[in-house]
Amino acid sequence: MEQAPLDPERRLQPAPLEPLGLPDAGLESVVGEEAEGPRDEGPGDGTMTENNFWLKKIEISVSEAEKRTGRNAMNMQETYTAYLIETRSVEHIDGQSVLTDSLWRRYSEFELLRNYLLVYYPHIVVPPLPEKRAEFVWHKLSADNMDPDFVERRRIGLENFLLRVASHPILCRDKIFYLFLTQEGNWKETVNETGFQLKADSRLKALNATFRVKNPDKRFTELKHYSDELQSVISHLLRVRARVADRLYGVYKVHGNYGRVFSEWSAIEKEMGDGLQSAGHHMDVYASSIDDILEDEEHYADQLKEYLFYAEALRAVCRKHELMQYDLEMAAQDLASKKQQCEELATGTVRTFSLKGMTTKLFGQETPEQREARIKVLEEQINEGEQQLKSKNQEGREFVKNAWADIERFKEQKNHDLKEALISYAVMQISMCKKGIQVWTNAKECFSKM
Amino acid sequence: MSGGPPKALPSTGPHSLRDMPHPLAGSSSEEAVGGDSTPSPDLLTARSFGDKDLILPNGSTPAGPASPASSSSLLNRLQLDDDIDGETRDLFVTVDDPKKHVCTMETYITYRITTKSTRVEFDLPEYSVRRRYQDFDWLRNKLEESQPTHLIPPLPEKFVVKGVVDRFSEEFVETRRKALDKFLKRITDHPVLSFNEHFNVFLTAKDLNAHKKQGMALLTRVGESVKHVTGGYKLRSRPLEFAAIGEYLDTFALKLGTIDRIAQRIIKEEIEYLVELREYGPVYSTWSALEGELAEPLEGVSACIGNCSTALEELTEDMTEDFLPVLREYILYSDSMKSVLKKRDQVQAEYEAKLEAVALRKEERPKVPADVEKCQDRMECFNADLKADMERWQNSKRQDFRQLLMGMADKNIQYYEKCLMAWESIIPLLQEKQEANQEEESVSRWASKMPSVTANSLLLVKLKPPQFTATFLGTAAAKVFVSNY
Repeated sequence: MEQAPLDPERRLQPAPLEPLGLPDAGLESVVGEEAEGPRDEGPGDGTMTENNFWLKKIEISVSEAEKRTGRNAMNMQETYTAYLIETRSVEHIDGQSVLTDSLWRRYSEFELLRNYLLVYYPHIVVPPLPEKRAEFVWHKLSADNMDPDFVERRRIGLENFLLRVASHPILCRDKIFYLFLTQEGNWKETVNETGFQLKADSRLKALNATFRVKNPDKRFTELKHYSDELQSVISHLLRVRARVADRLYGVYKVHGNYGRVFSEWSAIEKEMGDGLQSAGHHMDVYASSIDDILEDEEHYADQLKEYLFYAEALRAVCRKHELMQYDLEMAAQDLASKKQQCEELATGTVRTFSLKGMTTKLFGQETPEQREARIKVLEEQINEGEQQLKSKNQEGREFVKNAWADIERFKEQKNHDLKEALISYAVMQISMCKKGIQVWTNAKECFSKM
Repeated sequence: MSGGPPKALPSTGPHSLRDMPHPLAGSSSEEAVGGDSTPSPDLLTARSFGDKDLILPNGSTPAGPASPASSSSLLNRLQLDDDIDGETRDLFVTVDDPKKHVCTMETYITYRITTKSTRVEFDLPEYSVRRRYQDFDWLRNKLEESQPTHLIPPLPEKFVVKGVVDRFSEEFVETRRKALDKFLKRITDHPVLSFNEHFNVFLTAKDLNAHKKQGMALLTRVGESVKHVTGGYKLRSRPLEFAAIGEYLDTFALKLGTIDRIAQRIIKEEIEYLVELREYGPVYSTWSALEGELAEPLEGVSACIGNCSTALEELTEDMTEDFLPVLREYILYSDSMKSVLKKRDQVQAEYEAKLEAVALRKEERPKVPADVEKCQDRMECFNADLKADMERWQNSKRQDFRQLLMGMADKNIQYYEKCLMAWESIIPLLQEKQEANQEEESVSRWASKMPSVTANSLLLVKLKPPQFTATFLGTAAAKVFVSNY
């Protein structure tokens, strides 16, 4: 296996890889001027081993968010938020990072990128985007998309999305992804030129397949159930957590009232005054501490949300399998029926219904020549069908193999990430308890001096 | 020691008692006392060392009003003695052992009152009687009647209006018991009230109802006289100190009311928080059932939240039972104190009016008539008693609130400590398998799952320093949050 030498001077070199299952991705034709130097051609067989491995450390960050106004497709003024994406290559020598690319993208472009990835990598559990609209809000959180806190959390979510894609062994090599990071203008046109929207499976078709498929791989069926239940339980968890946050906020804030009344009371007391006054101050500290605590917790909620949306991505992979399997089953069924027809024509027995059969019955038998012609056509079709079936079968098996590999990878990632999330949540709670103990101990000391 | 200690506190002057039959005479053997041992409180001596030799024999009670000067100095000495806690005490009263009584007409609770004393006023060193709330109420009324110049401690509220509180629930009964105990202890600590005959009867009589029915008017002289003070005199000028006390009490009661409302609101919010927590915890359990590797950690979190919920429940119960009632008591206390202040104003007003009337009658010689003297006397005693009681009240108020607020802080500290323990105990549970995975971090993890891809082929992504991005993909999430405080 080749390895590209580490050359910090060289710009980021993508190794365009054909997306699996689509022999003519047509990406080769989309070449930006950035692509220089030797490039390995991605073979159409979809394997990765032959490709150009390049070791490149890069840093991706979504560092800023900016409110913009512009004209939309219908030439109406709109306000939107743009995010600055910076890419840096990390040099080994002096540890300094060099900014290689920097451009602005808005949420809809991220969506476009993701939709593209979904179409071209149906066997991959594609990382989700942060939510489009604020959900699971509690009273202090704003449901407004322009709210600075929401924008900030979204910025982090978008960065996370890019990092996930970039660290995925397959997705990171995608050309469109590379261009997303590097080519500001014209990127949208480039994506659309791939025609991925046309290649996308229709929702209706997928739904139909889900209902009608007879023999899907059991693992995918289980996975589908799992992702449904995961979605349901995480949604529930997020809803209740939001209510818990709301109530906790109330408890802390009411304590702030003690601050004021203790202060007023201390004014009429002689010996008790000082103790009361300083205790009141601690109550104020206590009341205001909740804001930071809950802000931290929102990040925990965001981590859960990511996996809530990941469940949808899992479902998408299952759907694709069902679709392919259904397709296969239909093709096999079709082939079988054609074979049957052929046989009947050859032997003269009519078991299957056919329009020709009916018209023959009604209008008279066809001539042997006609029959021969028909048989020939059918035989050709059968041949073709058998070829197709074979390749569909293979495709299906490839899909299952690759999808399942990615699903295993995803499972590991999920277990790791969620455990980390739980740990950080526990740490947050511990910190909150310690703060509480500190404040009340201080207050107690003040009271003791009364 | 002055020759006439009893005269120092005319409120308990045996003068009036001598006219009355001995309250304990003719009772059962348990309480039988010698006919001549009319309780004549010699406060100074009784307080000091219970030395019976110093107690004046019957009959040698001086007549005439005591001078305020000596009474206040006496009280100062008493106050000193008060501070030597325990050693100089000669009266101990406890309320405990609540019992439910079910009768045809009603159901009620009685409490056991245990009294231990070396005072001569008590024939026996120890008494144990049972009393119900009604009896306490009777005692308080009697004290108010017979000691109108003193501040009588409050009783817990008679009726339970708020919420659906069970009068016979353990928590309610315990709260009430504590309040009744406090009530009696406050009286016990009072140098004048503790010698009151009604109090004695309350502590010792086998059948209190019989005593109630006798309708004894064990009123002190001042009590008697104050009772008959007619209203309708306009006060010319309130002495500064009493005006100040009045203002203080007004603001004090206001602030306490506010604190009471805040405390109730906090409890309410905490209960609502608890309700949500009780739903929150189990969802982690539900999730745990779906998972493999995550099952234990999730279950652990669920249990943890359960423990915190229990701790919170305990906190709210404690606050409801221990904190709120004491606040309310002090509000009642200050209310009753204000009415005593009003009475004092009345006494002063009457005196001033009479004095003025005399001044107008020019025929009279500068010699002040007897009844005006009585008024002055009355007023000065009242002022002295009240002042002394106020100081005493201020002191115990300070102690009580220090204890109350420290208690509140303590309960909150305990709550957080319980929660802290719960969360700290699951960290190792969550982390144990993390360590095993740490070695195979990022790069190699992908590699091991994708055999066709070598370690070097991957895009190694460096994460930005800010903590939030680290939480998504990083490993240092745990370390990031600890230092926040």
